[in-house]
Amino acid sequence: MLSSCTRTLAALALSAVAATATAAFPDRELSGVIMWGAGGATDVVARALAPHAEAALGKKIVLTNRPGGTGAISTNFVINAPADGYTLLFGAENPQLHQVLQLADFGYEKFFPVSILGRGVAVVVVKSDSPWNSLKDFVEDAKKRPGKLKMGSTGPGGLPHTVGSMLNSVTKFQVISVPFDGEGPGMTALLGGHVDMMPVGVGAAAENIKAGRVKALAVIDGEALSIAGQSVPPVTRDYPEFGKYLPWGPFYGVWVRRDTPDDVKAVLVRAFRAAAENPQFVTLMKDRGNVPMSTSGVEADAFLKKWQSVTAWVLQDVGAAKASPDKFGIPKP
Amino acid sequence: MPEAVSYFFMSWANPYLLFLTAAGTFAGIYVGAIPGLSVTMAVSILISFTFKWHVNEALALIAGIYLGGVYGGARSAILLNIPGAPSAIATALDGYPLAKRGEAGTAIGLTTVMSVLGGFLGIAALAIGAPMLSDLALLFAPRDYLLLAIWGILLVGSLSGESLAKGVFAGALGVLIGMVGLDPMTAEGRFTYGSVQLSAGIPYVAAMIGFFGVAEVLVQLHQLGVTPIKQNVRKIVPAWGLVKKYLPLSARTSAIGVCIGALPGAGGDIAALMAYDHAKRTTKDPSRPFGEGAYEGIVAPETANNAAVPGAYIPMLTLGIPGDAVTAVIIGALYIHGMKPGPMLMIETPHLFWFCVGNLVLANIFLLPMGLSGIRIFAKIVETPKAILLPLILVLSAVGTYAIENNPVHVYWMLGFGLLGYFLKMYGFQVGPVILGIILGPLIDASYRRAMISVADTPLDFLAEFFTSPISAILVAALAFTVLSQSRAWSAFMGRLRGAPAH
Repeated sequence: MLSSCTRTLAALALSAVAATATAAFPDRELSGVIMWGAGGATDVVARALAPHAEAALGKKIVLTNRPGGTGAISTNFVINAPADGYTLLFGAENPQLHQVLQLADFGYEKFFPVSILGRGVAVVVVKSDSPWNSLKDFVEDAKKRPGKLKMGSTGPGGLPHTVGSMLNSVTKFQVISVPFDGEGPGMTALLGGHVDMMPVGVGAAAENIKAGRVKALAVIDGEALSIAGQSVPPVTRDYPEFGKYLPWGPFYGVWVRRDTPDDVKAVLVRAFRAAAENPQFVTLMKDRGNVPMSTSGVEADAFLKKWQSVTAWVLQDVGAAKASPDKFGIPKP
Repeated sequence: MPEAVSYFFMSWANPYLLFLTAAGTFAGIYVGAIPGLSVTMAVSILISFTFKWHVNEALALIAGIYLGGVYGGARSAILLNIPGAPSAIATALDGYPLAKRGEAGTAIGLTTVMSVLGGFLGIAALAIGAPMLSDLALLFAPRDYLLLAIWGILLVGSLSGESLAKGVFAGALGVLIGMVGLDPMTAEGRFTYGSVQLSAGIPYVAAMIGFFGVAEVLVQLHQLGVTPIKQNVRKIVPAWGLVKKYLPLSARTSAIGVCIGALPGAGGDIAALMAYDHAKRTTKDPSRPFGEGAYEGIVAPETANNAAVPGAYIPMLTLGIPGDAVTAVIIGALYIHGMKPGPMLMIETPHLFWFCVGNLVLANIFLLPMGLSGIRIFAKIVETPKAILLPLILVLSAVGTYAIENNPVHVYWMLGFGLLGYFLKMYGFQVGPVILGIILGPLIDASYRRAMISVADTPLDFLAEFFTSPISAILVAALAFTVLSQSRAWSAFMGRLRGAPAH
């Protein structure tokens, strides 16, 4: 009798503690893990977003970069931290390919999307003194001289490689793909004339387009986009069958472990929605050539699934995947 | 032009900006002096911190930290044989022997004056030739980076100590360590054995702290009974005669620093090592043999790494391309502050260029008194009893290594390399070539494969390009000259040339 009484009391006390703990979330500093290194696109987005989220949460977010393993180091770290909502993952699209590239045995399905902040749009650029004036010009030339023209890339699964693979499966063109350490070094090589063409995020190319150092041939999107005052035609103008992959682009977001308590998730979603819709942050996203999204929960999950299915199967089709998407239950698009 | 002048002096005339630059420089010296606390880290933390500030205030603080930090790395290299930053690796080679002779004060004084000199020469290059130098840097193709890295790896010969064979072994070990992780071209794991931690690679700062710091602590345990050398701290500011003597050398090494710094694929660490090598090859009679405390051996890397700072600003300000890791973070900061780094930056916000130049000049001026003060206290570190000093270095090494990426695994790596470094040292292997291999191995690997992929894997086209491209041809000639000038046949030939008129 006594023992059951104490047990009830203890349970009551515990639930009371639990209730106040969650009601007061967050009651201490949060920690934010950034998937890529200092100065990278993900880092800039995370550090620009965090102060607004701090204002909404009323607590500090201590940011640390844990780069490496194309993002696998950071996802492993967050998945091994307690599922209490205090450890946030500031990441990009990479984990959605970790399984097929065999970098980790899980992707974002283990995480809850607090906010997909926005997606980037890719643009195909060539040097301004090159002979090609449209994507078709370039593709036709590449078909005439298979394996002669050089495309800058950032390694398998990166944006240029994926867009190159999509173009290859639609047009059957053949180019040499020269991998660089990132979009920046690749653009540098393009400006120096060491590669002929490169698909990059609009943010990485906009200023060079404006300065007239590179020409934008097409945006990898369904409709024309105005970059630095000039309208760039969509890839679907020359190649309508490209439409099946769209919308496609890199994306940035904030995640927590999927088994985090629902009320904590709700607090985070609210705070990060306010942060992601802050005019200053929206301006930064637009300046960097991104389409602001600020979606979360079910809608964000659907976006993530579609992205994974399209990209993983493109890589599988061109032989760049190390394990078939089938193995991980990734459906065909 | 009057506008340029007013932007140049903006941070000089505004007391708050003046204060921020000074505070940044001061903090930078100490951030730089602590191994593992890097300028990159300090600057990226500052970005969230300076979020609500005006962009000029953030840039003033960052410029100070950057210049101060690169300079500060020399302190711990000279006093403890632990480079505070990768760009101070070359400084340890002759700086630490100087401290062991009781000349730590003189060495720090000389590096301060020379760092400031290198900084000024670098800033002059930035102010005068930025657009030209950045266009030149763009022309560097993957094969040119390959040549540059091969030129750098020749340095193994200079760093080998008693036996070239042991030096080559140590260099190869470094290359092997540098290969661990995901292949940069194919993302295939190399020596990773399926481990996620290994797939992230081994950060070379962890290896550097282990091989230099921990290994040195273990070696020192053999000499516990030896009383530390009394440091002579009466003469800190180097005599004008000494500075004048090294002016020609420092002008050449500053040029090396600016050029390597302006290259987007190479930074202050490679610049300092190449400058050291240049000094060793061209100095006929050094103050002492290199490796035993030659002044030339600290003058060259310290001018080069400080000249590399304005060098790295060159592609950043003219093209929006980072010259090294720190400028990559600064570019991120510019975005957050609403600027748009890129080729339009100088056209749309012309004041930014002259503001940055003025700022760097100011930070460089602050560096002189700040660097020269406190040396007397610093030099005493070497005189600290070993029972206090050695555990302190160990703690510092562990904290610094953890701070690189907040990863405890790196601390284990660092300790493991410390143990390995100890045995290497005991058997007469130098640790310098190991670090060189870790830095240059991956650069050679990636550049070679990029160059080969670019010519569709046809070796003949690959070879032909070394002679058809002007930059490659110049680099090939320089490389060939460096190798030939060290051969017996060459010295015999030169001897005959010189002897000929006598007959």
